[in-house]
Amino acid sequence: MKKAVELVLLLLLLFFTPHIMGKRYSPPGKPTLTRCRSPEKETFTCWWEPGSDGGLPTTHALYYRKESSERVYECPDYHTAGENSCFFNKNDTSIWVNYNITVVATNTLGSAFSDPVDVDVVYIVKPNPPEKQTVTIMEDKGWPFLRVSWEPPQKADTRSGWITLIYELRVKLEEENEWEMHLAGHQKTFNIFSLRSGGKYLVEVRCKPDHGFWSEWSSTSYIKVPDYFHREKSVWILLTIFSAFIFLILTWLLHMNSRSLKNCILPPVPGPKIKGFDNQLLKNGKSDEIFSALMVSNFPPTTSSNYEDLLVEYLEVYVPVEQELMQEESKDLHGGCLKCERSTSDSDSGRGSCDSHTLLMDKCGETKEEGRHTDRASSRMLTEAQRHQKGWEKDTLTYAHGDMVSPDMSNGRVKTWPSVFSPLPQYSSNPLDKQSSLEMAKQHCLSTSSCLTQPGHSTKEALGPSNWDFCLGNKQPHLLHPQTQVGRQLQAHSEVNISNIGRKQAPAGLQSPALRSTEYVEVQRVNEEDLVLLQPVVSGCGRIEGYPQMPKGKDYSKVKGVDSDNMLLLQREVMEEDWWTGNCYTSSTVNTTQKPTACIHTAMPVQGDMALAMNGYVDTATMCTLPTC
Amino acid sequence: QKLCRKTVEFMHRQLIMLYMVAACRAVAINDLLDRASERSDILHSLSTTLSHDLDSQFPPIGRVIMPRPSMCHTASLQTPIDKYQALQVSESDLLSLARSLLQAWEDPLAVLSTSANTLPHPAQSSISNKIQELQEHSKNLGDGLDILSGKMGPAAQTIASLPYRGGNDIGEDRISKLINFNFLLSCFRRDSHKIDSFLKILRCRAAKMQPEMC
Repeated sequence: MKKAVELVLLLLLLFFTPHIMGKRYSPPGKPTLTRCRSPEKETFTCWWEPGSDGGLPTTHALYYRKESSERVYECPDYHTAGENSCFFNKNDTSIWVNYNITVVATNTLGSAFSDPVDVDVVYIVKPNPPEKQTVTIMEDKGWPFLRVSWEPPQKADTRSGWITLIYELRVKLEEENEWEMHLAGHQKTFNIFSLRSGGKYLVEVRCKPDHGFWSEWSSTSYIKVPDYFHREKSVWILLTIFSAFIFLILTWLLHMNSRSLKNCILPPVPGPKIKGFDNQLLKNGKSDEIFSALMVSNFPPTTSSNYEDLLVEYLEVYVPVEQELMQEESKDLHGGCLKCERSTSDSDSGRGSCDSHTLLMDKCGETKEEGRHTDRASSRMLTEAQRHQKGWEKDTLTYAHGDMVSPDMSNGRVKTWPSVFSPLPQYSSNPLDKQSSLEMAKQHCLSTSSCLTQPGHSTKEALGPSNWDFCLGNKQPHLLHPQTQVGRQLQAHSEVNISNIGRKQAPAGLQSPALRSTEYVEVQRVNEEDLVLLQPVVSGCGRIEGYPQMPKGKDYSKVKGVDSDNMLLLQREVMEEDWWTGNCYTSSTVNTTQKPTACIHTAMPVQGDMALAMNGYVDTATMCTLPTC
Repeated sequence: QKLCRKTVEFMHRQLIMLYMVAACRAVAINDLLDRASERSDILHSLSTTLSHDLDSQFPPIGRVIMPRPSMCHTASLQTPIDKYQALQVSESDLLSLARSLLQAWEDPLAVLSTSANTLPHPAQSSISNKIQELQEHSKNLGDGLDILSGKMGPAAQTIASLPYRGGNDIGEDRISKLINFNFLLSCFRRDSHKIDSFLKILRCRAAKMQPEMC
C-alpha cells in the first residue's frame, strides 16, 4: 500500500513540478543570418539573429562550407565582432569563392538550423567611412569657398588597387534640414562654393567600392563662413543711389518739358475753321444767313469796284528801260480807254484783255455788230462796260493779267500776277481804283502788245488764276472785221501763265503798278465813227505773222491830259510831224451801243500844261469813267 | 584618341596591327589600362544588374538546386583567391588571365543571347537587351586587351583555352532553362569581377607616378 501511495505522489510531483515552475522548455528557435560584410575584401563578418531560445540556454554555432569542398568548418571567431557574430580573418577568407554558411542554435532540448546562405566575399564589401576629414575656408578672388579633404579608410587598400573607392560628401547649413549632396569620384578633395556669408556649415563624407556598398557617413565637420557680404552689398547700395539720382533728374526734366512734350506727343487737334462760318448761325438754322456769311463779298467780283481794284493792282509792271520811251508814247493812245481793253480781255486767264490794239479797235467798231459774242475776248471787248456787272470777273482777270507784265518776256509771254484773280477785299469800290486798274490793264496791254506772241491764239475762257493767259493780242482773226483790219493786229496774245506769275510774283496784291507797261500803238486811221484805229507798234517784237513791221520812227505823243471835252491832250514830244491822236481807246471798244464819238478823236498835240497825272500820263482809268465816254 | 583606338582595333582584325600601331600616336599604357578597367567595370555592373533582374522573378527553390559555381566552365583556370596571392601575380599573368577569361566567354554569351530571346521570363526583353550590351562591351574590352598585350611582352600573349561545352541549348523545359540561364549568368558575373579586379590592379601598378589613379 505504501508503495502505491509513493508512486502516486511521485507521479503527482512529476506532473506538478513543471506547473509550479511556470515554464516550458523547448528547443531553440531557428536563427537567421542577417548579414555578412567585408570592410576591405580581406576579412568578413557575419551576424545572425537568434530565434527563441526555448527557455533554455542556447548556444549558437556557425558552420560554413566552401564551394569546392564538402568540409564543414566552424566559425573561428565568435567574439571579435560582437555577439551573435562570426568573424573570418584573412586566413579564413577566400575571395571568388562561395561560402555556404549556416547557423545552428542549440539548447538542451534541441537545436535549430538556420537557412544556409551563399556568400561571396567580393560582393559584400562595405568599407569604413573616410577618415581624417578636414574642412577649410579658402578664398577665390575675394569670394570664400570651402575646401573639404579626407583620407580613405585605413583598412581599405586602395594603393595597390585592390579596392577602388569613390567618394561622396554632403553639406548643409546648421539651420537647414536637407543636405546638399556632391559626388566627388575618386578624388579626395572637394570645393564648395556659393556660401552664405556668416553661415555655419556641416560637412560629411562617405565612400563606396566600385562594386560594393556605401560606407557610413563620416563624423560631421563644422565650419563657419566669415562675413563677406559688406563688399557685395556696397555695390548694390551705390547702384541704388545712382539709379535714384538718374531717376530724379529724369523726372525733373520731364516736368520742365511737360508742355512741349505734351505738344509733341499729343498735338492739339486743330478744329475746323471756315472763314465767315458762324456756329451760331448754323444753330439758328437760317441757311441764308449762313451761306451769306460764307460768301465772301468780293468773290466772285460782281461789282465794278472789284474789277478796277484788280486792274489797279495789275498795273504794277516792270518794264525795261529801253522801252520806256515807246511806252510813254503809246500811252497816249490808250489813255482812258481801258475799258476797251478790258473788253478784249479773256475771261479765262486774263488773256485778251489787251490782246491787240487793233482788235480792240475792231471791237470798238464792232460793238454794235457783235453783241452776240460769247465771252470770248471779242465780246468782252465790246461789251465791256455793259457787262460790267456780269463778266467782269473774267475781264478783270484778264486785265489784271494784262497788267502784270513781268519783265520776263523771254518767250514773249506776259506773265501776270495770280493775285489779280482773287477777289480780295482789298478791292474797294473806289472808282479811282477802278480806273487805275483799268489803266493798268491797259498799260499792260500796251506793253504786251509789243510782244506779240502766238498769233492766232484764241482767247480763253477760263478765268481761273491758273489759267491766266494774257491775251495781248487777240488772235482771233475772225473777230476782226476786214475793215478794221489794221495793218497789224494785236494778235499776239501774250499769254500769261499764271503759274509763272505765281512763281514770280506772289500775290503781290493789287498794287498800283509802279511800272506801266506801255505799248505803243499807232493810229492808223480814224474811221467814220470817230474811232481811232490803232495799230500796235511792232517795235522790238516783230514776230507777228504776216504782219508788216510797223514803221518806226513814228512820232509818239505823250498824253498830257484830257480836257473837258474828253479830248486827249497830247504832249508833243521830241518828234515829229505825225502825232497820234490819243483815242479813247476803251471807250470806243467798250461802248458797244454808245456812240463812240464821245471819245476823243482828234487829239491835238497840246503842249503845256494840262492837268496831268503824276508823270505826265493820262490816267486812262479816270478818263474812262467819264460818263461821256 | 577614341578615333585612333577604333582605327587600331579595326586594323588589328585585318592583321595589320603593327602597321597601325606605328601609324597611330602611341597611347600610353596607363591610358590604355585606364580605359580597359573602365570597360570591365561597366561589364561587371551590367552583369550584376542582369542577375538581379533575373533573381527578382526567380523562385527561391531554383537557387537550391542550382549547380554549384565550381561547375563553371572557367573554374579550371587558376586564379588568386585572396589579396595576398593576387598581388603577387605578375602583370603579364594578370593580363593573360583577364584575356583568357574574356575569351572564354565569347561563345557562352552568344548562347545566352540566343536563349534570351525565348526566355520564359517576364523581363525577357530587358534581359535580352542587356545580354547584347554585354556582348558588345566584352568584344570591345577584348580588342583593347589585345592591344595592351602587345605592349606588355610575350607572357601576356598566352591565353588559356577554356572551351564552353554547354552546347547551344540551355534547357528544354522552363525551369531548367531558367536555372541554366541563371547559372551561366552567375558564372559570368564572377569572371567579369575577376577581370575587373585584375585590370585595376594593373592600372595601379602602371601608374606608380600617379598615385591618385588608385
